Amino acid sequence: MSAIHLRNLVKRFGAFTALKTMDLDIADGEFMAILGPSGCGKSTTMNMIAGLEEPSSGSIHFSDRDMAGVPMGKRNVGFVFQNYAIFTHMTVRQNLAYGPTMQRAQTAEVNKKVAEMADFLQLTELLDRKADKLSVNILQRVAIGRSAILKPAIFLLDEPLSNVDAAFRAVMRTELKQLQRQFKQTMVYVTHDQLEAMTMADRIAVMDHGVLQQVGTPLEVYNNPVNTFVATFIGSPGMNLVKGTPTETKQGLRINLGAIGKSPILPPALASNLKSRNSEVWYGFRPENITVGTKADDLSLPITFTERIGARTIVHLGEGLSMKAVFDNETPVTVGKTLNFTLKPEHVLLFDGTSGVRIGMEAAHG
Amino acid sequence: MSGASLQPDSAKQAASLGFKLTLPAQLLVLFIAVFPTLMQIYISLTDWSPLSGANWWMAYGFWNNFANYFDLLQDGRFWGALRRTGLVMLVCVPAEFLLGLALATLFVDEFRGKKIFYSILLMPMMVVPAVAGYMFYMLFQSTGPINHILSTLTGSTVSIAWLSDTTYAMIAVMIADIWQWTPLMFLILLAGLAGVPEDQIKAATLLGASARQRFITIVIPRMKTIMIIALSIRLIENFKIFDTLYIMTGGGPGTATETISVYFYKVTTQDLIWGYVAALALFILVVLSVVAVYAMKRLALAIEVAA
Repeated sequence: MSAIHLRNLVKRFGAFTALKTMDLDIADGEFMAILGPSGCGKSTTMNMIAGLEEPSSGSIHFSDRDMAGVPMGKRNVGFVFQNYAIFTHMTVRQNLAYGPTMQRAQTAEVNKKVAEMADFLQLTELLDRKADKLSVNILQRVAIGRSAILKPAIFLLDEPLSNVDAAFRAVMRTELKQLQRQFKQTMVYVTHDQLEAMTMADRIAVMDHGVLQQVGTPLEVYNNPVNTFVATFIGSPGMNLVKGTPTETKQGLRINLGAIGKSPILPPALASNLKSRNSEVWYGFRPENITVGTKADDLSLPITFTERIGARTIVHLGEGLSMKAVFDNETPVTVGKTLNFTLKPEHVLLFDGTSGVRIGMEAAHG
Repeated sequence: MSGASLQPDSAKQAASLGFKLTLPAQLLVLFIAVFPTLMQIYISLTDWSPLSGANWWMAYGFWNNFANYFDLLQDGRFWGALRRTGLVMLVCVPAEFLLGLALATLFVDEFRGKKIFYSILLMPMMVVPAVAGYMFYMLFQSTGPINHILSTLTGSTVSIAWLSDTTYAMIAVMIADIWQWTPLMFLILLAGLAGVPEDQIKAATLLGASARQRFITIVIPRMKTIMIIALSIRLIENFKIFDTLYIMTGGGPGTATETISVYFYKVTTQDLIWGYVAALALFILVVLSVVAVYAMKRLALAIEVAA
């Protein structure tokens, strides 16, 4: 087992910089999800940890050991590819035995290991089946078993659930989490699906455009996003953001939300954080924190569209604002009607209008 | 009536239309495949030759009751040619295969000037075989560049009579064939190598497999089908080796490089015993077909196993 330390990691492909700079510490035995949209540099980061790609600069340490120049076959890293990269011309048994066989283990020992791993992953019945005729869930277990049999210190998984249908994904999420608990290895899990990251990971590293945005537990990144990117990327749907200008009034600092046409009073805690009172800010709140109100002072927007997603209803608000509210199905919503709504003070977050950095968390960012 | 419709009204009409539409193709097949074969079988049973004064369809006047077939069984020159052809195939095709595979392996990775080398490498294949033959004829002269280079390399005068020594002539012919057809092998095998899934190679590497182990356990099984195809194409082509060889040695010295095609050519144009040639060609056709069908079956099996 082993911790991972990334220091000033940079990766350039010609003129294109895939990873601008990355510092990340992954603790021993931790389940770290690297989350971000495609092209954010998450797979590049993982490939560099695995040794599939050389960093342009910066360093990678596994615990105390510098990995510079260590070939991928010698890193003691298990890697589960997006499409599993199962050797389809072999049987399940041959796939599982591949690593030990290549490393010239004794046949008896290989057989013993394969039998143990097959038993553990419930693959015993399938050992002599050709790997190309198996379903995705079995392929995935073979892929994990094939790496796990070498007892790698670090397990890397590259979007292993992206080929799986939605229903099965839920099953696999649980299964993967359980596997990790049993193996107790350091696991790095790359995904663009926040649900996977939120449900499985101990901590999430959110990335965008080759830059690490925030690292934290799932609840931290959800409740305390450091910038507008994390705020909108995490959550389904993401956080609502409205441009506003602060205006000083007798009742306190108000934010003039041009698009909504109201100027709610800013909670005192937020107002004290707002140093520059002239520049624009993003006024953010989560769709699920909106409650229906009736007072004249409430925010109000016309309902443009509703999506029934089963347990809940997503309500689209305002023309061209891409604002959303999430209600239970019993809340009466009619398209075309105006919705009055309120927010609790603790549910309002402010972000800098130009940089998008969370106001009051500037120091933490970077 | 709303325009001409190709939609048939009944099954009978459909069959009739189908027949009419495929008639030109059927006639073509009849003309280029069935007719010549029947003609060949007919002539192979006679002593007919263009000098005999009769038209070919009158060949029944020279009927000789399978004598041509009994003759070919005892024709030492024929069996010698067959043996030499086999030897050429046995040396050239594996050599082309191994060289092609080695080159293809090099070309999978990126390197400077790859495109230029790629073009240069494919050039021999584009040279007209007769021209290649003339080229090698010049190169292998006893006062030619090859002896000159060998002299320079060894530091002593080398004057091998390449094309007039029975052994060296065979070697020279083989070198020419390998030079010309390694590019084809290279091209096919490169396509095959490019088709080996990259992440499987990566997965194998991460599991600690060395380059050699990866090649044996992943690359070769994945390329089996394309390897068999490449080998089949070259074996069939190599069996018919003619142009380059004929220009270089004319099958000589003596019959030292006389392959099946060269022998057939000589019997046809010099001896003019066409009835016998027909019998020879038919014999080869039948034997080759049996071998090819067997090879195809093996190929289909290999594909099934690989898939």
